[in-house]
Amino acid sequence: MDDLYLDNIDEFVNDQNKIVTYKWLSLTLGVHVNTAKQMLYHYLQQKRNESSGTPLHATYLVSGKCVENGSTYHKVSVVREDKLDAVKAKMDVTISVHVYSVQRAELKDSSPLYSTDYDAVKENLKNCNKYSAIRCAAAVPLSSSELQRAQEKALVPPVEKEISKPGFNENTSATSKPSAKQPAGIMGMFASKNASKSQESSKEVKTEQKEDFSLVETSKSKTASKANPMSNFFGKSAQKKADEKPNKSIKEEMDSSSTASATASLKQSQTSSKSETDVKEEQSKVSKALKVESKDTRNKTKRPEVVDSDDEKMLSQQKKRRRIKKPQPDSSDEEVVPDSPPVPNVHTPSPKKQVKREPVSHQEESSEVKRRKRRRVLRSNTFVDEDGAFVTEKGYVSESYSESEEEPESNSQAKDSSSLKQSFGKREEEKKEESEEDLCC
Amino acid sequence: MIFYKRDAPLFIKGCCIYFGCFSMATLTRQDLNFGQVVADILCEFLEVAIHLILYVREIYPSGIFQKRKKYNVPVQMSCHPELNQYIQDTLHCVKPLIQKNEAEKVVMVIMDKEHHPVERFVFEISQPPLLSISSETLLSHVEQLLRAMILKISVCDAVLDNNPPGCTFTLLVHTREAATRNMEKVQVIKDFPWIVADEQEVHMEEAKLIPLKTMTSDILKMQLYVEERTQKN
Repeated sequence: MDDLYLDNIDEFVNDQNKIVTYKWLSLTLGVHVNTAKQMLYHYLQQKRNESSGTPLHATYLVSGKCVENGSTYHKVSVVREDKLDAVKAKMDVTISVHVYSVQRAELKDSSPLYSTDYDAVKENLKNCNKYSAIRCAAAVPLSSSELQRAQEKALVPPVEKEISKPGFNENTSATSKPSAKQPAGIMGMFASKNASKSQESSKEVKTEQKEDFSLVETSKSKTASKANPMSNFFGKSAQKKADEKPNKSIKEEMDSSSTASATASLKQSQTSSKSETDVKEEQSKVSKALKVESKDTRNKTKRPEVVDSDDEKMLSQQKKRRRIKKPQPDSSDEEVVPDSPPVPNVHTPSPKKQVKREPVSHQEESSEVKRRKRRRVLRSNTFVDEDGAFVTEKGYVSESYSESEEEPESNSQAKDSSSLKQSFGKREEEKKEESEEDLCC
Repeated sequence: MIFYKRDAPLFIKGCCIYFGCFSMATLTRQDLNFGQVVADILCEFLEVAIHLILYVREIYPSGIFQKRKKYNVPVQMSCHPELNQYIQDTLHCVKPLIQKNEAEKVVMVIMDKEHHPVERFVFEISQPPLLSISSETLLSHVEQLLRAMILKISVCDAVLDNNPPGCTFTLLVHTREAATRNMEKVQVIKDFPWIVADEQEVHMEEAKLIPLKTMTSDILKMQLYVEERTQKN
């Protein structure tokens, strides 16, 4: 192939200061992804050999087999160049390594990588797998009647769920553990618990399927890292979360709005991998079903993840926990401030409304008793209402948990739920909803 | 032109989690609150952008940041309650200025230990006089543009030198003439006074100008550039 592409890449990287991922390059230049990967590799080689000009940074996608805790699993991760050798060494068998992206800036986290591909994929939504190396004969767009049926089905269960059990976002722990570990150290300060976690340096995993899976993943990683203050609050180290037992109530409450394939593969990953790592399943592309209109796949929840405790760590008694809530004085109508997570060890004068709780102590008990109780927890639920718009509702719902878990006293105030419409950039036809309520603090 | 500033917070209090959500109506010409809508969009964006700049320029340790989603992409937002409160309060005060199209620039100044500015992230804002809401895809277009701005902030490391350790930041607003009289009259948030900025924070000696991104849309024009001091240490 001619070398014109090298100039193209050079322009993108150096002049425009863009992040050039292989997928973006393949969509931009109209080449197969494997060609794009090779192009990036050659470009890197050339620039490195020249040893002049601005420094370049690269990220790599590494996939291989790992054995951890006795079980073997396939691990795929996107790593920075400086961590590449370490990650490769950790794997038993390295199946593939290729350049994921090239950029001038040294990226601190993986969000820009996702952003880069987002718009490119969105523009080419109908043929985003045109240059892809992944093929699935069964992956064809849904006909409009099938789509309608799927949408109707999605409407019914979330309405039921909203009242009874909140939907959990599945097993975020496995996939999002690494990125959540470091923050948890300082987050723990806010929750007055210094958990010592090893910092996983490899970046979050990505799939070919940015539209759907990564969204689920993004929301998962969000909930996981959000869950960490919660988990600190529950008086367990995040390490314990990694040792989740399969028979949790989480499984029952799998969010129905995820795609079946995502659920299936995630279940698989949950059972197969217990400890922290970047576990990722490469899925075959499901095209039209995951289009923007398909509300099933849009999982915009921000649910805190609550994990049942393990049998090992028990608390001797329920302790009161201090909960500080700062009412948002002038929050606009659109902003909603949910209750803050319970914060033990806070030493400031309390604002008007607060429920006092004492800090949790970690006491390991040998007691095997585990009683299940119900408590009210703030849950956030996303569903599609009659207008066809997304509604996120935050409300207190009763939820069963085991006594060994740290348990916040349910907030005396709060039965309010607020419903918010998240439609920015999606549905311009929506009318302004007057039914938004602020979360009463 | 008079500039206002507000000092950054110093200590830690309790913890709160928040998220902002924005609901958009079908914009018609009869809608009174069009200015408000634009102000809302802009303030949301500025909040995300400020948090992201704090993350990317390492003003605060990365541990306090958490991934959240905005405009359908992951962004880093801080969980530090005082910091969040400060940023929110500041933007809350800026919002009425934007509504009336009186805010010319919102500047985030990064200062070293001696309170000399080392970097100034300038968001120049202008609203076209005849706000036209012609296309249906306006909002998704605006979202796309804002996404691109966020992305540009993420890679601004490549064009900027490293900052010295121990930097702090402050937010300034440059307003047009008429706004100054109103600012003093209206105390938007109690105990959150705005004061006229010091000359040394407003002007930076030996500044290099580095443009980052420009966006033009029907409802809003925004330019983001960085003024960087040549000698940072």
